[in-house]
Amino acid sequence: MEKVLSKIVEITSDPYTFVSKLKEQKQKKIIGCFPMYIPEEIIHASGMIPVVIWRSNESITWGHAHVPPYDCGITRSFVDDAVRGKLKFMDGMVFHVRQCLQIGEFPLIIERNVKPEYYELLYLPPIYEGEAIKSFLLADLKFFKTSLENYTGTTITDDKLQQSIDIYNKNRTLLERIYELRREKPELLNAKEVMQIVWSGMLMPKEDHNELLTELIKGLEVKNSGTGEGKIRVIPVGCLCQTPQFDILDIIEASGMIIPDDDLFIGSRYFANKVSLKDNPLEALADRYLTKTPLCPTKGVWDINWADEIITKMNAVNAKGVISIIVKYCPPHACYYPDFVKKLKENDVPEVMIQMEHEVISLEGIKTRLQSFVETLGGKK
Amino acid sequence: MNTTYKVNRLKVTNEIRPMVDRHWSELRTAKERGEKVGWASGPSFIFPYAMGMKCHFMAGYASYCGGIGAAEELLKAAELSGDLPETCSYHRLHTGMVEAINMGLPINKQALLPLPDLMIAGRYCTEQSHYSESFNRRLGIRVLPLELPFVFREEDRPRIKKFVSHQIKDTVIPTLEEVCGKPFDYDRLSEILSVLKKTASLRNQCWEFLKTKPACWTLWDYAISMAPVIYMMGDPAGIPFYERLLKELQERKDNGIPALAPHGEKYRIYWDGWIPWAFLGKFMRKFTPSGAVCLCGRYPWEMFPHPELLDPENPLESVTEWMYGEHGLAINIPGRGSLRFIQELVDKYSIDGLVMFSSKTCRMWNLSQLDVIDALEKEYGIPGVVIEADMIDPAMISDSQINTRLQALFETIEGRKKINLNN
Repeated sequence: MEKVLSKIVEITSDPYTFVSKLKEQKQKKIIGCFPMYIPEEIIHASGMIPVVIWRSNESITWGHAHVPPYDCGITRSFVDDAVRGKLKFMDGMVFHVRQCLQIGEFPLIIERNVKPEYYELLYLPPIYEGEAIKSFLLADLKFFKTSLENYTGTTITDDKLQQSIDIYNKNRTLLERIYELRREKPELLNAKEVMQIVWSGMLMPKEDHNELLTELIKGLEVKNSGTGEGKIRVIPVGCLCQTPQFDILDIIEASGMIIPDDDLFIGSRYFANKVSLKDNPLEALADRYLTKTPLCPTKGVWDINWADEIITKMNAVNAKGVISIIVKYCPPHACYYPDFVKKLKENDVPEVMIQMEHEVISLEGIKTRLQSFVETLGGKK
Repeated sequence: MNTTYKVNRLKVTNEIRPMVDRHWSELRTAKERGEKVGWASGPSFIFPYAMGMKCHFMAGYASYCGGIGAAEELLKAAELSGDLPETCSYHRLHTGMVEAINMGLPINKQALLPLPDLMIAGRYCTEQSHYSESFNRRLGIRVLPLELPFVFREEDRPRIKKFVSHQIKDTVIPTLEEVCGKPFDYDRLSEILSVLKKTASLRNQCWEFLKTKPACWTLWDYAISMAPVIYMMGDPAGIPFYERLLKELQERKDNGIPALAPHGEKYRIYWDGWIPWAFLGKFMRKFTPSGAVCLCGRYPWEMFPHPELLDPENPLESVTEWMYGEHGLAINIPGRGSLRFIQELVDKYSIDGLVMFSSKTCRMWNLSQLDVIDALEKEYGIPGVVIEADMIDPAMISDSQINTRLQALFETIEGRKKINLNN
């Protein structure tokens, strides 16, 4: 188990080197998918390796010549990585250009400066009612499949796609098992390790990740670990589409809190909802995309409330508070936030908000806020 | 000797304020007359107009609030409702207005609208629909969503056009029929388009006077005259307004009166992005002393630049053509389409330099602006600068930053003109 964890730490500490080597070892093309909703299964079925594009941990340099400082961290970091040539190992890139406004920055910048061999744009619509949405979504997925077939020169049969879906579903099952164990024994893994476990799967073929997870789970199932007695249980929420600063997770735990579950993209949101087994695998992928939970503010859902979902999640693990991690300059999350926090207040759920910036981040300020939050929760263990 | 430049103000544009006041006043009092009220984002308000609803238009409301000086107090009210300052200032104006209504805050009454029976959430910018979604959560107001994707590549346009057309038939029309309790009024939609076609044709004739050297009027003059070709579309008052404007511009040309006294502009500037509605005077004053005049820009030029393509006999097709035709507005915002559109404007209006207005809270027009400057500089040898500000929120405006960058732009233009003369 420790060996697997060290490998995962190694992978996520330097994803650039890992994915470059992976390409060499597997002799397969690498397709970068900008998070969150590119259907990786179709790329997998085409015989290439989909990897989810990540936010670097370096300051922006050349990227300043292409994007303003009031774009979010991953937007600026990805452009910076791309124009500095750090993503040359990616043979292709795919963007869902209707997820949020800032993704609209990429097409012209990438086309003009560092256009990869394969390059595709998806328009996956928000989850609105009506046949038009469903048929356009399905048409977009078909378009993507054809585009990949044209690039690779191979046909993506329903069987191949179904096999890929099975592999992805297995990955979701394994990750869910780890989360189940974490809910039972929250001290089994620290929050950073859990995030690294999920993130590592975004950087390698899922069948390889499944092997790692299977071995890891064997170890976790027999490991003696505490249930977090005496620590305050909290649920971190948000950080849509990008990795939180590891330091924030460490500070949460160092402040006397423990995380038995989360609502983060590099976390439970990524593997939520399996793809159903249907005769038409593209329809099954469309159905997964159209699932309204976990609620995502980029998807135009207003008839259910994000806060209600979180309260349910909290009750399941006896959590006492919510830590909202909002990426600075993430309008979908920022616009939703006032309604989210109001609903929590109505339900007497304590919440604290941390705004996460890509570069300048006052860890001391965050530490103080979190320590105050712990004191607020002190009587509610 | 240094020239002292001064703006020659147009007389006809004084008529606009009473016209827009009437428009918003009719909206404010609609419920008293038993009329249905809608709020719309993106270019979706034409559908409730056709049904006889009184409907607001998100960006139009923002421009009005900017014009009547109500923006700052509404933004403060939005803060009270918990809005984060980094979110779209148009979004915050609306949450501020609703907060002001609910809390009975002493806000300029002209800025307070009746709560709508329906919110038509045109998701043109992906963030434009957030306030509708929020008001559904807060107040239970019904939302009619309409996904209106930007088109990033020409090859994507036909399938997106088909998708939008499908949504209009599948969702928009049936919902409006249900809310209004009557069949969709295609005849009224045709009438609106007939008036709009005539108004926009006259407006295009007026645009010709921006191409003249010296220019007879400016982008700012046009910006405040835009309402008849956008949220006041279908209002017959727009036609005589543009007729009178055209007459005044012709007289100016005949009498040699330029937009900028005494002898016309020194620098012809392209303006990218939103119009800074709350700060028009401020920005005019930044350009005028240097003899610079803004003459065109993508946003004001997306309002029916090809009225000849409007076909009132086929109203729904005309509407989708406006958005997703070959010259549709949805292709002018991102990627290659934006570059092509700006190139056309630079050519047509003999532009010397680019000012890219980058809004800190609305990134819709900001997309790839720095690469656009780079591409156009390489192709035309004209310089450009980005100025970081906001269309409404005064907290986002830094005068010194703007002054420095504009000064740098004017000096670069001057330097390049000298080099060109010497060559």
